[in-house]
Amino acid sequence: MTTSASRRMLLSNFNPDTRSEVSSSFYQRTRTFKAIMAFSVQNFARIMQFSVPFSRSFHQCQPLNQIQLLTRLRVVDNSPIGKEAMIEGRPPKCIHVYNPTRIGRIGDKVLVAIKGQKKKAVIVGLKQKQSPFIPKFDSNNIVLIEDNGSPIGTRIHVPVPSILRKILKERSVAKKIDFTKLLSICTKFV
Amino acid sequence: MLRSLVSQTFRQGLVHSFFRRNAASLSESVVVQNPVETSEEAGEKSVSNQKNSDESGTTVVVAPPEFRFMYPEFLPDPKMERRNKLKEKLERMDMLQRRSVIEIPEFYTGSIMAVTVADSNSPNKFARFVGICIQRGGSGLRAWFILRNVVDRQGVEILYEMYCPLIQKIEVLRLERRLDESLLYLRDALPEYSTFPFEMEPERRLNNSVVPLNPIKVKLRPRPWLERWERQDLQGVQDLNLPQRFYDRAKEVAKPWEKYDLMLQYRKTIPAEEQEKIYAEVHSQLQQQDLKRKIRRRRGPNSEQ
Amino acid sequence: MSTIGLLRTIFSHKILTSNVIQTPSLNKSPFIVGFFLNHDQVRTMSRVKRRTTHPPYWHVLKNPQKVDDKISADNLRFVREVIQENYKNKSPLKPSELQIEKSEWDPKTKRSGVIARNIGMQYMWEKDGKKVKCTVLHVLDNHVIRYIPPEEYVKTMIGSKFFKYKKPLGCLVVGAEARNPERFTKQYCNLFASVGLMPKKTLSRFIITPNAALPPCTPITAGHFVVGQAVDISGKTIDYGFQGVVKRWGFKGGPASHGATKFHRRGGTIGTGRDKARVWPGQKMPGHMGSERRFSRGLKIMRINMKYNVIYVKGTVPGATNTIVRIFDTVLPLRKLKEAPPHPTYFPPEDGTQPEEDIWDSSLHVFGSPSISV
Repeated sequence: MTTSASRRMLLSNFNPDTRSEVSSSFYQRTRTFKAIMAFSVQNFARIMQFSVPFSRSFHQCQPLNQIQLLTRLRVVDNSPIGKEAMIEGRPPKCIHVYNPTRIGRIGDKVLVAIKGQKKKAVIVGLKQKQSPFIPKFDSNNIVLIEDNGSPIGTRIHVPVPSILRKILKERSVAKKIDFTKLLSICTKFV
Repeated sequence: MLRSLVSQTFRQGLVHSFFRRNAASLSESVVVQNPVETSEEAGEKSVSNQKNSDESGTTVVVAPPEFRFMYPEFLPDPKMERRNKLKEKLERMDMLQRRSVIEIPEFYTGSIMAVTVADSNSPNKFARFVGICIQRGGSGLRAWFILRNVVDRQGVEILYEMYCPLIQKIEVLRLERRLDESLLYLRDALPEYSTFPFEMEPERRLNNSVVPLNPIKVKLRPRPWLERWERQDLQGVQDLNLPQRFYDRAKEVAKPWEKYDLMLQYRKTIPAEEQEKIYAEVHSQLQQQDLKRKIRRRRGPNSEQ
Repeated sequence: MSTIGLLRTIFSHKILTSNVIQTPSLNKSPFIVGFFLNHDQVRTMSRVKRRTTHPPYWHVLKNPQKVDDKISADNLRFVREVIQENYKNKSPLKPSELQIEKSEWDPKTKRSGVIARNIGMQYMWEKDGKKVKCTVLHVLDNHVIRYIPPEEYVKTMIGSKFFKYKKPLGCLVVGAEARNPERFTKQYCNLFASVGLMPKKTLSRFIITPNAALPPCTPITAGHFVVGQAVDISGKTIDYGFQGVVKRWGFKGGPASHGATKFHRRGGTIGTGRDKARVWPGQKMPGHMGSERRFSRGLKIMRINMKYNVIYVKGTVPGATNTIVRIFDTVLPLRKLKEAPPHPTYFPPEDGTQPEEDIWDSSLHVFGSPSISV
C-alpha cells in the first residue's frame, strides 16, 4: 500500500463526493494483492481447521466513534490551511481535548495537529450517537479558531446543530475568549 | 397414552399460534388504510365491521388486523420479566391522551417525514427537519424513530421520541415502505439515496389506497463500511461486488435454523391473541380521534386552532 | 393410582390441600418439626452474614408442606363452600373497636407505610421538555391487621432490641394481597381470624407513633401519600447469586493480553505483608451478590392515580419489576413532610364526592395538554 494511496483513502473518507471514485481505483490497483492475500488466508484456514478453530482477534461490535486522542477530524470551514489539509488528504489529528473527560462532545475545544502546526478548533458535529433531538452527523466536524476564539475561516459549508448556540454562549468568557463569532459564519442550523 | 395425547394437543396449540402469527405477517404485504370517508358512514362501518356478535351473545370489538403495523408502539416490550398488564394499560391510556392533542400519523421505515420541534436555541423557536425514516423502535411512551437526510453534502440524522411533548407536528410527506425493516445501510450508501429537499410538498393520497412498497435497490459505497452488510440478508441493496470469501464467511456465520425456532419467536413477539386484545382496547378511541381530525380538516384550516 | 389421576394431580392446581380438612397428625409430621429445629441452629450465625433466605423461626409456618392428593372432587367442593361461608360479610370486630381517635399531626409523627408492587418504569416529561424517568408502584390491597401498642411491642424479641436505648413506639401490622386460604397453613390463617379478612400473602410491620394508630381492617390506599412529598422505598435487590469481584465490587480485573495468564477477572492481593500480615475485615471478595434489603431514600412522588391505586415516583427503586416494595414517609431531614399529610391515613370524603382521579405534580407536563412551546 503506497503512502499516496493511503492518503487518498483518508481523504475519501471525508469527502463524500470523491470517495467512491478514488477508492474504487484504489480497489482495482490492490486487487491482485488482495487476491493473493485471500488465497493465502484460505489455505491457512484449510490447514488450521484440523488443529484449532480459525478466529480473528478484532472487534466485532460497533465502534463508539468518540473524539479522543489521535482521532482524525474534518475541517468544515474555508480557512486556507484547513482546505489545503483536506485536499491533500491529511486531515487534522486531535492531540488534546480541553475538558476533564478527554472525550470530545459538541462545542468542546480541541487542539489539532494540522500540516505540521498546532491549531485550536471547536467541534461542531459528531459521528457518535447523540441524545434525542440532537443531530448526529456522518463525520466529525471541526472549525479552526484562533486563541481568542474567533474563527480563521469566513464560512462554514455544512449544517451545524442549533444547540451549539447555547453551548458556545455559555463557554464564552468576556474579554478572554469569544466563541460567538463562530455562530455568525454558520450557513445552516439543523 | 394419555400423556401422548396431552403433548399432542400442546404441540397443536403451538403450531396453531405459529400459523396465526405467520398469517399476520403475510397480511403485511397488503396494508390497507382504514376506510373512513365521512362521519356517518364511518360510524356505521365501524359498528358493522368491528362489532361481531359472539356465540354467547356478547359483543366483541375487533380492531382491523393492519393496526399492528400502523401502531406497533402500542404493543408492550415482549421481554417477560419486564411485563405487567396494569402498567401497560396505564401507559396506553397516556399514549392515547397525547395522541388526542397531536396527530401522530401512520408511517413506516422508508417513509419521508417532516418533524417540527420546539427549539429554544433557534430564533423562531421552532426547528423543522425533513428526512427518510431509517429505523423505528421502542414500545409504549419510549417509542422513537430516526430521520436521515443529506444537507449540503453532509449526512445528518436525528432521533425523535414520538411522545415527547416538545414535538409540535409530525407530517408524512411520502407514505411508502421499503424492502427492509431497517435502513441503516443508507449511511453507507451513495448520498443521493438519502437526499430530500426541505421544501418537499406532502403527496396526496387517496383514502383507500394501499401503502406502496418502494422496490428501489440502493447502491452502497465500496468498503470500509460501518457494518458487515453482506451478512445481514438485505433485500434493498444492489450487488455488493465483494470477493467470494466474504460470502463464504457470511454463510458460515449465518443462523438459518433460527426461523424454525418456535420458542425464540415466542419470546420475541407478543402472541396474536394478546395483540388482538390490546388493539381492541385502543381501537375505538383511535378511530374517534381520526374522525375528529378529518372533520376539522374539512371545515378548513381556520377552525383548526 | 391411574395415569389419569396422576395427570390430574400434576395439572390441576385445585387439588392443593386445604387446611380446613387437614388432619391434625399432618401438622405434627416429623418434617415440620425438623424444619423448626433447623431455625434454632441458625442462630449461631457468623458475624458478617449478609442475608438469610428463610423466614425467622418465630414466624408461623406459612405454606403447607404436604399436598393431599387423595381428596375427592366432592370434598373439594365442600371445602370451597366452607371457605365462602367463613369469609362472607362476617367480621368479629365490634363497632367500638373501629372508632378512630382524632389526633393532630405534628412533625414528630411517624405514620404507617404501605406495601406496593414495583410494576415498571415509565417516561414523563416536565413542562420545559425535560424527560423524567419514573417508577410505577401499584399500591396493593393493604389492610391493617392489628396494632401493637408500645408497651407490648417493647416486650417482643425485635422490639426489645430495637428500643433498648430509645423511647418505645407502637407497631402496625399491615397485610396485602388476599389469597385463597387453601394455600396457607391453619396457623397462618388464624392470624387473620380476629379481623375476619382473607389471609394475606404479604405481611409487614410498620413502626408508628401511637397517634398514628389505625383500627384493624382499615384499608390503606395510594391516597395515603400526597403528590410532591418525598418517600423512602425499601425492597429486596435483584439476586445475582455468587459473583466475582469485577461484577460485585466493580474491580478492574487484569489485562486481556500482554502475557496475562489466568488473571483477567481476578481481584489481586487481599492483604499486606510485614507486621499487618492478615486480611482486614470487610475485604471485598467474591460472594453472593444481591437479594438484600435496601432503601432508596428521598424519592419525589410525581403523580398519583387514585382510581388504579398507582404512585409514580421519580427515580429507581431496589429490586426487579413485579417485586414487593414498602413505601414510607422519608426520614431525610431536609425533605421531611412540613405540612400535614392525610393523618392517620386517607379516607374517602364523607359527603360522597369523588376525589380527583389523576393527580399530577405541578412541574409535570400533563399528556392531554397541548405541546410545549419554548
